[in-house]
Amino acid sequence: MSDDEGAAQERVAIGISFGNSYSSIAYTSSDGKAEVIANEEGDRQIPSILSYIDGEEFQGTQAKSQLVRNPQNTVAYFRDFLGQEFKSIDPTACHQSAHPIQHGSTVAFSIHDTLRPASPGSASANAIVPVSEIATRHLRRLKNSASDFLGKPVNAAVIAVPTNFSDAQRAALREAAERAGLEVLQLVHEPVAALLAYDARPSQPSPDKKKAGGVSQTADKIVVVVDVGGTRSDVAVLASCGGMYTVLATAHDYDVAGATFDGALMDHVAKEFLKKHKGAPDPRAEPRAAAKLRLEAEAVKKALSLGASASFSLESLVAGIDFAMPLNRSRYELLVARHVAALVRAAAHAVDKAGLDAGLDVAEVVCAGGSAHTPRLARALEAAFPRAAAAGAVRAPATDPAALNPSELAARGCAVQASLIEGFERADIEESTEAVVTVTPHLSRALGVVVVAGPAEEEVLVPIVEPDTPVPVRRTAVVPAPAQDGDVLVRLCEGERGVKVTRPERKRAETNGEEAGGSEGGSEEDSEEDDEDEDEEEEEVRERVWKATRTVAEVGLKGVRKGRMVEVQVNVGVGLEVQVMVREVGGKGGVRGVVGGPEGV
Amino acid sequence: MATIQVSIPLPVLPEGWAAEKDFKALSSLSAPTQRNVEPVGPHFLAHARRKRHKRTFSEDER
Ligand SMILES: Nc1ncnc2c1ncn2[C@@H]1O[C@H](COP(=O)(O)OP(=O)(O)OP(=O)(O)O)[C@@H](O)[C@H]1O
Ligand SMILES: [Mg+2]
Repeated sequence: MSDDEGAAQERVAIGISFGNSYSSIAYTSSDGKAEVIANEEGDRQIPSILSYIDGEEFQGTQAKSQLVRNPQNTVAYFRDFLGQEFKSIDPTACHQSAHPIQHGSTVAFSIHDTLRPASPGSASANAIVPVSEIATRHLRRLKNSASDFLGKPVNAAVIAVPTNFSDAQRAALREAAERAGLEVLQLVHEPVAALLAYDARPSQPSPDKKKAGGVSQTADKIVVVVDVGGTRSDVAVLASCGGMYTVLATAHDYDVAGATFDGALMDHVAKEFLKKHKGAPDPRAEPRAAAKLRLEAEAVKKALSLGASASFSLESLVAGIDFAMPLNRSRYELLVARHVAALVRAAAHAVDKAGLDAGLDVAEVVCAGGSAHTPRLARALEAAFPRAAAAGAVRAPATDPAALNPSELAARGCAVQASLIEGFERADIEESTEAVVTVTPHLSRALGVVVVAGPAEEEVLVPIVEPDTPVPVRRTAVVPAPAQDGDVLVRLCEGERGVKVTRPERKRAETNGEEAGGSEGGSEEDSEEDDEDEDEEEEEVRERVWKATRTVAEVGLKGVRKGRMVEVQVNVGVGLEVQVMVREVGGKGGVRGVVGGPEGV
Repeated sequence: MATIQVSIPLPVLPEGWAAEKDFKALSSLSAPTQRNVEPVGPHFLAHARRKRHKRTFSEDER
């Protein structure tokens, strides 16, 4: 490279999602749209697999097909091993590919990756390749694919990582990427990247678009991101407030993910095969047959996300016997029903950990990861998150026609972040991600105004600032004036979310015998899949109500005409001091005041 | 942040309610919880800028 220095310093940054099963690369076009890039083979989901044949390296789909013929020189499912000690890894996913081995205290693979013997005089032609080097090779190929596509050399990236990646794992990933010639601008949590991908959608109409740098202003809400991948499933509960994201709780499940679905299909097909070919060997016990079966199971599973039926077609599966059979979606859904239920439980568990209620508090569910294409999973999440479902906000292909491709969310979100920060000095980026900047006081209660509902003039609190909102924050509400001309009271209160339970009268009479201890806000656990007559059992209706817990300020606004609107603006500062401004919309003057923050903040 | 539209009306000011400049400060907010905001997205970048330069919303908009 004889380019001058100026050109060499220019950043070309992409977003990378590097999973144990698949990777994707994305960039932000000049019109601000994040898009996933296809590699030379036309794949947007690139298997995170490298395979070596006679000294030649293959990656992605080509490497994946080598799991059948050349498994010992095919390295797969290695991302989570980065930065880990050998004794703490779970090698299960590598059962049908190169096995991880101990290398010092870390992880390596013994593979035949060159034409030459590894070390002169050594009997084995194999080389010991540390997992960090495998990751570097994989990332270098991703970088090259992106460079080919963009027509200029990519040299920087924002990369997604799980929320529970340790500092050692993060450092190892950074190093592996830097060795591949990628300056790592930032590591971003996977569920946060997924939310950013949604919030940065250019299609969303937004009056504030210019100010917000392309990202639309969204309502304050609790969002659950359910990421079901190939070898792991991760749930994150987040507060999304004015485009800022705070993780409230997470849950991780390494027992149920896409590979579990494949396994259930494999078992089903193997049993059918053995029924038909009595005395034939069990294909699951033959490594080559098992590998074929697994690949075909994954393909059939994907086909069943789109169509109502698909078929297995396995040439020379075992002992030279060909095997084919059709499978329809409902049969498949039965096979995986208990795994889907386990995933829904994991999601509910994370919401519990956050101290929230799945039915009342969660306004949106973002389904991420390849397995989120599974219609049955999306529908099960709808049932578990009724408030999000009622708002049409369970974002998966099966439940929301406007959903983004769940396989692309992490990479797209990273590409959005990359475009936002690629022009910054490295020191500035680092400073912004340090605790002094990110650790922020969040409101522990809601802050709202009291209004009067219905002819009974019942007092109700309407939140203006939601709980778990980071400060400083500024919010404005407009509220109708009373039905007659005169003076108006604006009572600003802190409050908590309560539950109002209404049980259908008729049903109550019918089922008096087994009134399932449904006290107010009581749990209705264990009522999931097991009761068959769930449709008949008319559910009690649970609604959110906000209860004022303390009055923060009162404002008297004089001489407001009926039918007018009153604007209430609150500004909560870093010390939790509250500035209040109240005025008649379109009127002049108004009332201002300040409430000091709590002691010691 | 878009304005929140409330559809239920405010109450009438009770007879005899009086306060200096029509404003009564009654109680501080509860103590906050310290949490980590994810350093991602344009709104966070604006937040970080304000925090580093110790500016308020309105100063930031100028
Ligand atoms: N259309 C589809 N329908 C059903 N499952 C799918 C579909 N597309 C991909 N998958 C499954 O999604 C899983 C991969 O998910 P993803 O691309 O999110 O991988 P990942 O993050 O690398 O996974 P992990 O790190 O958990 O191993 C695989 O099990 C794959 O078979
Ligand atoms: Mg993943």
